[in-house]
Amino acid sequence: MTAEFVFATAQYESGDWDSAPLLPANIIDTIARYTEIAVAPTGVVAALSDVRMLRYPLLYLTGHLPVRFSDAERANVRRFVDRGGLLFVDDHNHDVDGTFHKTATEEIARTVGPLARLPNDHPLYSAFFKFDGPPTTSHELNGWGDNLVHDHLLAVMHGNRIGVLYSNKDYSSEWNYHPDTKRFMSVDNTRFAVNLVVYALTA
Amino acid sequence: MRSRRRRFEIGCRIAAFAVLGWLIGSSLMPRAQLESERASSRDIGVRLARWTRLPASVALHADLKTTPDAWISDWLGALRRTGHPVTWSGTPPAVAIATDALSDPAGGLRIDIAAPSGSVVTVRDGASVIDTVRVASLGATVTAAIAVDSIVGEVNGARFTAAVPDPARLRPVLVVGEAAWEGKFVARALEERGWHVDARFAVAPRVDVTQGAAAPLDTSRVSAVIAIDTTIGLLGAAALERFVREGGGLVLVGSAASGPAVASLTAGRVGARTRPAVLPPDTIGLGATGFYPVRALRPTATALDRRGGSIAIAARRVGAGRVVQVGYDDSWRWRMAGGPGSQAAHREWWSRVVGSVAYVPSLPSLPTVARTTTARGVGAPLAHLVERIGPSRTAPPAAAGWHLDQRMLMAVIMILLCLEWGSRRLRGLA
Repeated sequence: MTAEFVFATAQYESGDWDSAPLLPANIIDTIARYTEIAVAPTGVVAALSDVRMLRYPLLYLTGHLPVRFSDAERANVRRFVDRGGLLFVDDHNHDVDGTFHKTATEEIARTVGPLARLPNDHPLYSAFFKFDGPPTTSHELNGWGDNLVHDHLLAVMHGNRIGVLYSNKDYSSEWNYHPDTKRFMSVDNTRFAVNLVVYALTA
Repeated sequence: MRSRRRRFEIGCRIAAFAVLGWLIGSSLMPRAQLESERASSRDIGVRLARWTRLPASVALHADLKTTPDAWISDWLGALRRTGHPVTWSGTPPAVAIATDALSDPAGGLRIDIAAPSGSVVTVRDGASVIDTVRVASLGATVTAAIAVDSIVGEVNGARFTAAVPDPARLRPVLVVGEAAWEGKFVARALEERGWHVDARFAVAPRVDVTQGAAAPLDTSRVSAVIAIDTTIGLLGAAALERFVREGGGLVLVGSAASGPAVASLTAGRVGARTRPAVLPPDTIGLGATGFYPVRALRPTATALDRRGGSIAIAARRVGAGRVVQVGYDDSWRWRMAGGPGSQAAHREWWSRVVGSVAYVPSLPSLPTVARTTTARGVGAPLAHLVERIGPSRTAPPAAAGWHLDQRMLMAVIMILLCLEWGSRRLRGLA
């Protein structure tokens, strides 16, 4: 069992949990590129129905399809958040009228509590790089989804810390590319992922 | 030739003057041996008032089967100071009680009891009985979350009392390490337990995530430092050693003890990390994924926890401070992936570890008896009695021979003189 940070993708039974297959490697590359955090070179898939998902205190969950947790998944997610884990949920549809958004927010509310707007001066946005709020993605206005620029992320707070972070910004599309592609970018669009990981590891 | 009656009259006069002379002489010359008064444990309380009115020459002695209440010892001490020879004898049980505030943000106190082995001690406060313990090896310890008034122990009729201590004044705990799960969850567990936690997590070269004020490392600002890994060296070896020697606490987690900055402070050398042959299939307990064993324990260090023949936790004193070397470097897995209740257990465990080393400002030094004396009694009644009137002694011998009341002697003198006078008047003399 490694002591390194392991990027874990949440697997759930109801939807397409693996809709952003290149994202883990890209985020791992970003963490290694900007920080000294010991990070495992490959990510893992953690089934929410398996109690071993608790071994990964930061979980990334995405998809396009309806999200409906089984009883075991719901119990594990509830325990995960209670014990201090951070579940990052990203709407791959970036559509507030989409099925993922409607069902995922409902499921989160049922499991751990209602989502609320996360203030744009939250420590998450200054944990490593400085942001004035959630960075905009190139996919928000691509003609698909709701074609809105979402100026806030949503969160379920656990004490004074984030238990569930919910995004309609479609980071799953924005970050779902091979890490080598970064060299063609003037600004690395995965920098916010560093904030997310640093926040999860320190807050 | 004097008549028989004349000889009787002379005899009466001589006897009267002899008794008078003896009275005068006995009042001028001190008696060779003292009068004494005795009392037992049962009646000494009621006798003290009468003893107080006796002349200072009367020796007072108490036969004690149990230690008297503090006020009786104090009263006997006062009588001794007024000039009474005061002694006591007997073998009352040697008992003592002391209380200390726990180094815990939730408060609470530890009650240490000394009493004869096998005795059953009832511990109570002003509200109710806290616990009843059977003493083994002359001592027992009880902890209580809260107590009111004062703590009273009772054993075999002896009562001993200690004051409820003021809560420990705890300062922040500083957690230092790389940005990783162990540091994050140690800090979180301590915060959940009520500790004020400052933190410094290294993220990148010259980039740290900090929580709380970046106070200088000093016992006036920090109770304890928890080093998650070798980044503790950033605080400086000299500053760390000074902090510990001044009384600060240091917890070295996992590989942190292998850093050169803490080489002079460790309880032992850090061995190669152990790893289980088979990982736990579901829930994870403390140490289930391996740990850094403490090897070559220093002579001044003590092993606190062993696992599989290796030392998992060891501690030592350095100057006025304490260092605990904890081999478990991924206790966060226990919290996150442990069985039911593991989160609370992780929290309590870390709070106890930190509480065992945390610097707590000490109270001004007071004499032991004064410190343990309360309005309701003393913590060590036998010691209190000895302090007041000295150690146990045999009773002084009672005054030899008989003792006549001086009023009786005066009456005898008067009778003798009246007999002489009456005889002379009957003979017609003046």
